[in-house]
Parts: sequence; C-alpha cells; structure tokens
Amino acid sequence: MGALEIINFYLVPGLVVGSIYALGAVGITLVFAILRYAHLAHGDLATLGAFLGLGLVTALGISPYLALTAVMALTAVVAVGIDRVFYDYLRERPKIVTVMASLGIALMVRAIVQMVWGVDSQTYTRGIVRPENWFGIRVRDRELITIVAMIVLVVALQLFLQRSKWGKAMRAMSDNPDLALLSGVDNGKVVTITWVIVGGLCAAAGLFLGLNFELKAMMGWSMLLPMFAAAILGGVGRVEGAVLGGLIVGVAEEMSTLFLPTEYKAATAFAILLLMLLVRPTGLLRGKVL
Amino acid sequence: MKPLLQMTDLHGGYGDANILHGVNLHVAPAEIVVIVGPNGAGKSTAMKAIFGLLKIRGGSVTVGGVDITGWEPNRIVEAGVCYVPQVDNVFREMTVHENLEMGAFLRSGDLSAAYDRVYGLFPDLKERRKALAGNLSGGQRQMVAMGRALMLEPKILLLDEPTAGLSPKYMEQIFQISRDVRDTGVAILLVEQHAKQALAFADRGYVLASGCNRHEGTGADLLADRDVADMFLGG
Ligand SMILES: Nc1ncnc2c1ncn2[C@@H]1O[C@H](COP(=O)(O)OP(=O)(O)O)[C@@H](O)[C@H]1O
Ligand SMILES: [Mg+2]
Repeated sequence: MGALEIINFYLVPGLVVGSIYALGAVGITLVFAILRYAHLAHGDLATLGAFLGLGLVTALGISPYLALTAVMALTAVVAVGIDRVFYDYLRERPKIVTVMASLGIALMVRAIVQMVWGVDSQTYTRGIVRPENWFGIRVRDRELITIVAMIVLVVALQLFLQRSKWGKAMRAMSDNPDLALLSGVDNGKVVTITWVIVGGLCAAAGLFLGLNFELKAMMGWSMLLPMFAAAILGGVGRVEGAVLGGLIVGVAEEMSTLFLPTEYKAATAFAILLLMLLVRPTGLLRGKVL
Repeated sequence: MKPLLQMTDLHGGYGDANILHGVNLHVAPAEIVVIVGPNGAGKSTAMKAIFGLLKIRGGSVTVGGVDITGWEPNRIVEAGVCYVPQVDNVFREMTVHENLEMGAFLRSGDLSAAYDRVYGLFPDLKERRKALAGNLSGGQRQMVAMGRALMLEPKILLLDEPTAGLSPKYMEQIFQISRDVRDTGVAILLVEQHAKQALAFADRGYVLASGCNRHEGTGADLLADRDVADMFLGG
C-alpha cells in the first residue's frame, strides 16, 4: 500500500475522529483539573448537543454549521443547570459520589434523547458527499471543517485561559485551590465558567461526530473511553495535551485496523490508556497525577 | 494604640480535635509581631483560624474593630488581611508576574503602582517575571508568595515561617524586606522557627505552647526571659 492510501484511508479519518475526541478530551481535562472528578456524563452531553443540533436543523432548515454556536450555548446552559442541581449539591462529599452521580446523569440524558428523538439512527443531511481531491489527498469539506473548527475552538480557549482575568482564575484554581481562595477568587463563579466552556465543547464534539457519521443515542457514550484515554495520555489538566492525546488516539484507532480486525478498534484506546498509566502516569505533557 | 487585629480567647481545631485552647493576641498598625513556639504548638493553626480555615468553637477575631469570625476567605482578603501559608504558597504553573496578578485579583483599575512597589521590594523577581514560580529556588518562591500577598496593599500581612529552609542570607533578606514593608505602614504577624533572630527583629512576640499563650512581651524581654530561653533558645 502506498503512502497516499495510508493518508487517505487511515491518517485523514484518524485526524477527523481525533479532532472530535480532542474537543471532548479538553473538557474532560478541565473538569479533572478544576473540579477534580471524572465526569462520566461527558459523552452523553455530547449526544444531547448533537441532537439539539438536529432539532435546529430540522426546525429552521439551517445548515448544521450555522447551528453550531446556538447548540454550544444551549448545551452550556444545560451543563450549568446539571451542575447547579446535582454536582454542586454533592460538593462537600467525597468526589467518588459525584463520579457516580455523573454516571446517573449520563443515563438520564440518554433516556431523554431517546424519548424525544427516538432510537433510530439519523443524519443532518442526506446523500453521499464525494471528497475533494487536494494533490491526491482526498478530504471531504465536512472533515476539513471539523479539524479547522477544533483548532479554532482550542486556540480561542487557550487565549481565554492565558489572557483573561477569569481564565487565569481557572488556571489558579487548578494549580492551587486554597491559594486561589486566599487570593479572593470566587470558586462558584469559576465552576460556572468551567461548565459553560465544557458544555460548549461537548456540544461541538457531538455535532461534529453526527456530521461525519450518524446520530444515535449511544454515539457519545461510545466515545467516552477514547476521550478519557486522550485526556490522560496528554496529561491531566493540559489543554494542549488533550488535543495531542485526542489526535493520537484517533489516528491509532484507524491505524490499528491495518494489523487487527476492525472489531478491535475500540480496544486501541483502552490499550493506550493502560500503557500510559503504567509507563508515564503524568501523561505526555506532565499533567497532574491522579 | 487600638489594635488592628485582635484574637480573643480563640478555641478551635480540625474536625473534632481542639488544637487551640483560648489563644489571645493582637497586632497594632505598622507593628511587627512574631509568634514562636515548639513544633506542633498550634502556630500555623492560629494563623489559619484568622482566615476561618478550621472549625472555630469559641472566641473571636476582629480587624479594625469589625468581627470577621466565620467570614469567607475572599471577604477577609477584602478587609485588608493577606496571608502567606507555610507551604504551597505560590501558583507553581503560573509565571511570577501572573502570581502577582492573582494577588491583585480583587483590585481593578491601574495596577502599575502596585507592580512597581512589589518589584521594587524584590528586584530578583523583576528579572524572573516570566519564569514559572514552580521553577524558582525556595528563597525566590518565598518572595513570590510575599509579593502576591502585597499586591492587594493589605493593612496586615500574615507570614507563616517565611524563612523555613532558607539560607541565612535569604533569611536576612526576608527580614529586611519585612521591615521595609512595615515602614510603608503595613502590620506584620509572622510565625518563626528561628526564634532568636525573629525575637531580635520583631517589636513584640508571643510564645505559644500546646495551643495556649505561654509568654508575651517585647522581643527584648522575651529574649531575656529564663523560661523562654530554656524552652527553645538552646540554653
Ligand atoms: N490539617 C490538619 N488536620 C488535622 N490536624 C492538624 C492539621 N494541621 C495541623 N494539625 C495538628 O495541629 C497541631 C498544631 O499544628 P500546627 O498549628 O501546624 O503547629 P505549628 O505550626 O506550631 O508547628 C499539631 O498537633 C498537628 O498535628
Ligand atoms: Mg507551622
């Protein structure tokens, strides 16, 4: 097999799915770093975002790309709401209680999606899209947009974290929560901003997953493991690490089908996760130790 | 003079255990007061009590006559009290300058005068303003920690063992900077292991043992006290 085939059939699809994992993994790493628990409803929040997008696309007849910002905002509101009603209530309890609660939220969100949109697979648009040819490399527009959108969102997030007052407060809360409180940072506000960002990123991940594949109630749940693997691979608390981790897991999953039967694709993320925890628990970019 | 900070008959501890059994102390404006005492005496706990970081079972803390017992830390900071904990007192993954910025989190408007003042007190930090605080030496990190607390221009600065683990050169420097800070009108309450040097440099001191006041007086008086000398001035 030539280099072009490898690029077209493995690398490009790997980078596309990796970009989607990256969007999810960045949110997971932020929740880990600032709120200090594993958020198991992350995938199903992405599912909700994808279906809210479907709702807008069918109701208004707009393209899914136009729906993106609205869907991110809606899911952010849902995420903040979930935090206010459930997670915030458990704040003083051991973190494992919140982890278990987030599993419950995952099931609840999925059930709501199934009740509203049914259990059949759906798509945003009909028909087959032929890939464009760029000097032999074949990429569909939606694939290119997925990768570019991921980069734009992550750069915007990094600018916010590095430059803005509240972005710095989020980093301070992740770095040393006690000292952040002693500096006068309002913890509640940091938590709310975190959920706005995480909810928005979840929705983007879900929407792009639906755009490149199809929408079904289990779509988010089934990418929970690769997203966690990506976050841990990159180093917990590291936004750039989560992106790198997402891309690596995505490409590794596609490449694995070169050597292994396709059924083992999903096991690749698990293998990467185990290997990383064994060899370098701080992740590629030296994150927090869990 | 009317005390700026007053702790009256404070009882409290972590969880169910009581560590402080009625501690009394006060600090006047622009005064340097040191707390000394054996390890585990409750010195750090007394400082945390000012910030409500433990369970307080009795007594009160006032700042400028206002009772701040049980307030949230961010309100206490706003009341003009800044605290440098004994350990983990910088944001390691943030630059020196960002640490100072976090110190000024509650302030708005032009901060250039505050930066100039802090960088003036700690010229070493100005050179290393882009370095991550976690990559600095222990002494420089302590300066970042003090600098962060000074950015808010507090009325009183609480320092918990600022010289622990530092070389004599840095210790002298930290004491000198504390004097400079005091000369700008800021009161300082500090906990010190180096009892002899600290008592020589402070205006007044308290000796704490087993969560109770044992002795108090001017630095010179305590240094001359036989009982205090036997306790930890190494006979
Ligand atoms: N976070 C904590 N939880 C429970 N007990 C503590 C904690 N911190 C300190 N202690 C206990 O409180 C007592 C006083 O500690 P501390 O105030 O740190 O002493 P000092 O600063 O005078 O050396 C010690 O017996 C110590 O074991
Ligand atoms: Mg101590």
